Amino acid sequence: MFNKVLIANRGEIAVRIIRACRELGVGTVAVYSEADRESLHVRMADEAFCVGPAAARDSYLNIPNIMATAEVLGVDAIHPGYGFLAENPHFAEICQDSQITFIGPPADAIYKMGDKSAARQLMRHAGIPVIPGSVGQVRDEAAALAAAKQTGFPLVIKAAAGGGGRGMRVVQSASDLRRALGAAQSEAEAAFGDGALYLEKYLASPKHIEVQIIADGRGTTIAVGERDCSIQRRHQKLLEETPAVELSPRLRRALLRAAVRAAEVVGYANAGTVEFLVEGTNHLYFMEMNTRIQVEHPVTEMVTNIDLVKEQIRIAAGERLALPREVQSHGHAIECRINAEDPARDFLPSSGPITAFVPPGGPGIRVDTHAFAGYTIPPHYDSLIAKVIAWGRDRDEAIARMRRGLREFEIGGVRTTIPFHLKVLDNAFFRKGEVSVNFVQRRIDLADLRSP
Amino acid sequence: MSEHGRFDLEEIRALIRLAAEAELTELEVAAPHLTVRIKKDSGPAAETHAAGAASAPAPDAAAQAAGQTVAQERRYAPIASPMVGTFYRAPKPDAPVFVQEGDTVEVGQTVCILEAMKLFNEIPSEVAGRIVRVLVENGAPVEYGQPLFLVDPSAVA
Repeated sequence: MFNKVLIANRGEIAVRIIRACRELGVGTVAVYSEADRESLHVRMADEAFCVGPAAARDSYLNIPNIMATAEVLGVDAIHPGYGFLAENPHFAEICQDSQITFIGPPADAIYKMGDKSAARQLMRHAGIPVIPGSVGQVRDEAAALAAAKQTGFPLVIKAAAGGGGRGMRVVQSASDLRRALGAAQSEAEAAFGDGALYLEKYLASPKHIEVQIIADGRGTTIAVGERDCSIQRRHQKLLEETPAVELSPRLRRALLRAAVRAAEVVGYANAGTVEFLVEGTNHLYFMEMNTRIQVEHPVTEMVTNIDLVKEQIRIAAGERLALPREVQSHGHAIECRINAEDPARDFLPSSGPITAFVPPGGPGIRVDTHAFAGYTIPPHYDSLIAKVIAWGRDRDEAIARMRRGLREFEIGGVRTTIPFHLKVLDNAFFRKGEVSVNFVQRRIDLADLRSP
Repeated sequence: MSEHGRFDLEEIRALIRLAAEAELTELEVAAPHLTVRIKKDSGPAAETHAAGAASAPAPDAAAQAAGQTVAQERRYAPIASPMVGTFYRAPKPDAPVFVQEGDTVEVGQTVCILEAMKLFNEIPSEVAGRIVRVLVENGAPVEYGQPLFLVDPSAVA
């Protein structure tokens, strides 16, 4: 086991990693920016080193200063958390060259999964379904019509250089496609300076279901379970749960198998998550793999009693997997991301001092946070201030506990996403388990959240 | 907690000694993350109360002290570390140090070396003045923004 681990991150995940290290008897080094001097991870770690000014590129992304800290304080390993340097293959390589263990997958696996379109090709060749679409870019009508024969209708036209839904349009027929093509091209040209398009089969109301995997790097890869992360707004996850509702045992088995296969194809080691879109009761499509621990990992921990962060550290230290191939799961868990954002004002970030902070407790409630009364949320980083995780024997009990917990949660001074979550939890479609990635758009009237 | 993360008690003690040696009544050191202000109350009222449990300086004594210290009041500027690394005062182990207390430095003059990842980075002074204190021991690890030297900018050569 390691003697000392440096945590190259901040916020709740830095706190989470320090806790795991402490339980394993491993020393901890926090790094921080000048804006995070009073942060909880700095207070909790055995040692803390300032690595730069507030801007992330000068501090949490400052590889020379982070590596120098690792060197002068004599750490064995670096845990990157999520975001920042977690999926940077170059950083993983530098760690290796410096003989410091990177607690994560090999640089090569990060690299292969990092190029999203190359990763989809790789998976397609490995026999894992991906969303049918044009192979490469489409530059004219003839190519578009040929591609449409493969995918079928309806399909979606996307800008090759795009993202975030810009330049996207759904078409129902060949004549529709002819009409939409020119407009999509000029829109992509205007927005991204590149008119290249690609076509993809349109999924009307898919679910976002992902699979947590763990690989020990010695030939054992297991699927720990799935999470439904369909409750999203503008591709940002807000609420996650496990097990996924309305998922047949057969499709579930297929998902877990595909996830293990995806990890094996790239020679994966450590914890990772394979994301799929699931349409109807039969179709799964590989979307991408996140080669790191994820924000929503606690829901899996709650139903399996596996400490994923400790497993990450153990695997990186060269220990063999001590988990059964078939992981047993008990009950249901939901996570709500509490962001310092104002749902009444289009989720506008709400940074500043927290004047009151009383997190919920009681049976089945877990809160992962770095916030406290008197803490000032810096404007430089993401808005996540707490994760509330509720466990219940079944989904109904988990929902009831979450509603109870969110009502207990007192946060003063900043606006949060709590009112949004309460609205989701009260929604009849959500309660029936009828969720898809369009849920927030279709079922939640955000205007109701505007307080008079 | 890091002993390097902030001014520790030893550093503050050193500053108090420094203030006493220089016979200052007030010393303020401003680093990016922390400001230390040491004020010596030289009024006779404060002295007599010093042994007692509750000391409340007489208002007239405080006003008097403030008047006296205007001329002596100094504000020292720190040379802060621009990076993380190991602090070396000399270019080689047996070579003379770049600067010592009492030396005057110019802007851009090398004051120390910070080693990180086997690279030796010469650190230039950002201020001109007289070095009044070397705050870090040779060979110690330093973090970003940590004060390395205290400079008296009013003592420009």
